[in-house]
Amino acid sequence: MGIDVTVKVGGEAGQGIQTVGDLLAHVCHGCGLYVLGVNDFESRIRGGHSFLQLRISDRPVTAPDHRVHLLVALSPRTLDMHLSELAEDGLAIFDSQEADAGSNVVSIAVTDMARKAGGAIMANTVAAGACLALLGAPDSLLERVLKKQFQAKKAGVLENNLNAAQTGAQAVAEIDFAPAFAWPEKKPAGKLLSGAQILALGALASDCRFAAFYPMSPATGIMAGLTGFEGRAPLVVEQAEDEIAAANMVIGASFAGVRSMTATSGGGFALMTEGLGLAGITETPMVIVNSQRPGPATGLPTRTAQADLRFVLHAAQDEFPRFVLAPTSLDDGFETMGRAFALADKYQVPAVVLTDQYFNDSVNIAQKPLNAPESIDCHIVTDADMDDPKAYRRYEITDSGISPRALPCAGQALVMVSGNEHQQDGHISETIPDRIGQVDKRFRKLAAMEGEMRPPRTDYPDSRVLLVGWGSAAGAIGESVEMLRAEGMDAGGVYFTDIWPFPQQAAEEILGRCERFYMVEQNVSAQLGGLIREKTGLKCYQAVLKYDGRPFFPFEIARRVKAAEEAIDG
Amino acid sequence: MVDVSAFHCDYENKWCPGCGNFPILEALKQGLADQGLVPEDVLMISGIGQAGKTPHFLRCNFFHGLHGRALPLATGAYVANCELPILVSMGDGDCYGEGGNHFLAAIRRNPDMTLLIHDNRVYGLTKGQASPTSERGFVTKIQPKGVRSDPFNPAALALSQGAGFVARAYCGHKEQLAGLIGQAMDYRGLSVIDIMQVCVSFNTVNTYDWYKKRVYDINEQGHDTDDWNAAMDLAMAGGDRMATGLFYKKNRASFADRVPGLADSPLAARRYDPAQVQALLDQA
Repeated sequence: MGIDVTVKVGGEAGQGIQTVGDLLAHVCHGCGLYVLGVNDFESRIRGGHSFLQLRISDRPVTAPDHRVHLLVALSPRTLDMHLSELAEDGLAIFDSQEADAGSNVVSIAVTDMARKAGGAIMANTVAAGACLALLGAPDSLLERVLKKQFQAKKAGVLENNLNAAQTGAQAVAEIDFAPAFAWPEKKPAGKLLSGAQILALGALASDCRFAAFYPMSPATGIMAGLTGFEGRAPLVVEQAEDEIAAANMVIGASFAGVRSMTATSGGGFALMTEGLGLAGITETPMVIVNSQRPGPATGLPTRTAQADLRFVLHAAQDEFPRFVLAPTSLDDGFETMGRAFALADKYQVPAVVLTDQYFNDSVNIAQKPLNAPESIDCHIVTDADMDDPKAYRRYEITDSGISPRALPCAGQALVMVSGNEHQQDGHISETIPDRIGQVDKRFRKLAAMEGEMRPPRTDYPDSRVLLVGWGSAAGAIGESVEMLRAEGMDAGGVYFTDIWPFPQQAAEEILGRCERFYMVEQNVSAQLGGLIREKTGLKCYQAVLKYDGRPFFPFEIARRVKAAEEAIDG
Repeated sequence: MVDVSAFHCDYENKWCPGCGNFPILEALKQGLADQGLVPEDVLMISGIGQAGKTPHFLRCNFFHGLHGRALPLATGAYVANCELPILVSMGDGDCYGEGGNHFLAAIRRNPDMTLLIHDNRVYGLTKGQASPTSERGFVTKIQPKGVRSDPFNPAALALSQGAGFVARAYCGHKEQLAGLIGQAMDYRGLSVIDIMQVCVSFNTVNTYDWYKKRVYDINEQGHDTDDWNAAMDLAMAGGDRMATGLFYKKNRASFADRVPGLADSPLAARRYDPAQVQALLDQA
């Protein structure tokens, strides 16, 4: 049995919970372990209850575990809420001066120790020190990470933190913690990154030069990630006055010749739908990341969901071709951003990347190397490509439906673009031939766009029972499939990244072979299940749905599928 | 000197006969020709409404976008290529109603572009509802008892928010307008020209005759365009005397001046450098 330990650190917002998580994650990754860290927080800056759940393993992990081995409670509420999650051999550390809180609860005066080490702000370092000591980690590991993190800070900060970490470690030195393990000292695999960071890196590698956004959880992290490259790459990140402006700025920048994107959540996407339609009819490439959270309206601002699929498929008035892609992992996230930009440019359509709070705010290991493409093709024509640039028509009727795209003020070709229905030259038209001609032209792209769609990734696709999902749920579904197989069930997993245009043939082939399939989605109506039925006629047997705003645990998916299967078997 | 006719467009004009947009279009062509520009070098971005249709009646590159959204659209184009000569054509409902927030933000951001607002104090394309600049009491089919709200004051608002180029024009004075457009295009930053325009179909109050009795050129009278207080007085003055001309001009850092590196070369002109991107990815 390998290493698979979950540490949960909880407390009030503002207590530095995330810092503990970051420290632990970096220490673990630094010696070659795999981690998956989930941030769970309320929509508030101080107080309340938030936690960080870090799963540590010697194998890649793709979902949070429901069992907690080590609970660090920096507030009484954390202890109350999560004590029941402790595994049998688990232990809770409670920030208190009182002894004997319970058989598997140890009281340690974390905050008090932090104060003595130089300030209550270092409670998180004390906690990290205690956690690592309990888990059997050598002191040198945390020391290394702290040095890296604080060496640039003013004198005393590093020393105080080292001291705080040591005090934390000493406080638990006498405790025998069963899940402790022998720490490897090997080269770390991949990069420790959040979903938001990998999406930003994917955009950077796609030669995205302009990003406009209006702050909205949980999308802001993507923009924060990109902002760090301003000045180091030809990139401008602008905070717009609202999402409407952000979408229109992106369209304007793309029209004038640079790859551009915006990121928002469902509520902001609602405001952007007008712009999405403009990109649709003007055939301007744009990339929109919708980082989903539960709604409607403001919903649960800091929680996760997969309930905007139907919305992004149909958003904006009338119909026009678009791409909808939902990355299933960090590696997939990097690649998906690249494809979104490339496909948007190639077909002159909007591309929507569907992610969510769980994906964006969690940290995990990106295993594939992050490679910048050798070249970027934006599919732009210049005067040199034309026999007669003066006769250029932006919306020329073509067999492929794709009209040559020139840039404004780049030569003799006049580029005329209108959000009204138009003639081939871009001037407004209400004639029947122009209307039908342009609609047909736009939709002629669909056949080739369908050809770009990749089949869903699968595990054990020839199994009797398949669990089907999309986007960020893939990790949890994958692990639940392994659990079910370990229990003897002939189960497999199917995970869609490419959702629209729907990869119909691949879906039919894969799902048509199994005895029955389950949809596993974080919404209330199995939205992808409905789409699969609409496009293939295949109906899922049951849906395992979760819409409480929290990510799936593999265990709960497996439990529900198992129960359903047992009901069939009688 | 570029000939004005270079900007002539064969596309059928769809404005009402006698519309105040016609002289604005002529002044625009004159202003562009005076700048020595050719149609291939000009980019016009517009919103929705009769003013939004302007680029269709002018030979130039254009993007005719959404109601109220011309400014963010133009800002995006400008960020991508800050060397483009960008003109923005909007109406009063477009710029001050639906796009009011973008108007405020554009003043703050100060992208280098010329904003022409065709301000006829009424919604023409939707057949005669009140606009943000309609006088209180202005009667329409939707407002039969008269408009209840006070009118928006474009020049005063632009001045109060720190706009660096604020002018007011009258559609009937083409030469003055053409001159103002030229000055606006020379200005580095957002230049705002509120153009008092006649709607012959739906505004029977603010007619050519009505304006003729009231408008006067402040620049002819020796107005000091450095004097913000004097400009504000002109903007706030109502009633029988309506000032036109350049109210205020002051140098401000343009958006491109505020973004390191952007003023040196346009984003769109940079070459993709895989080695540079790879180095950044490796550091992540």
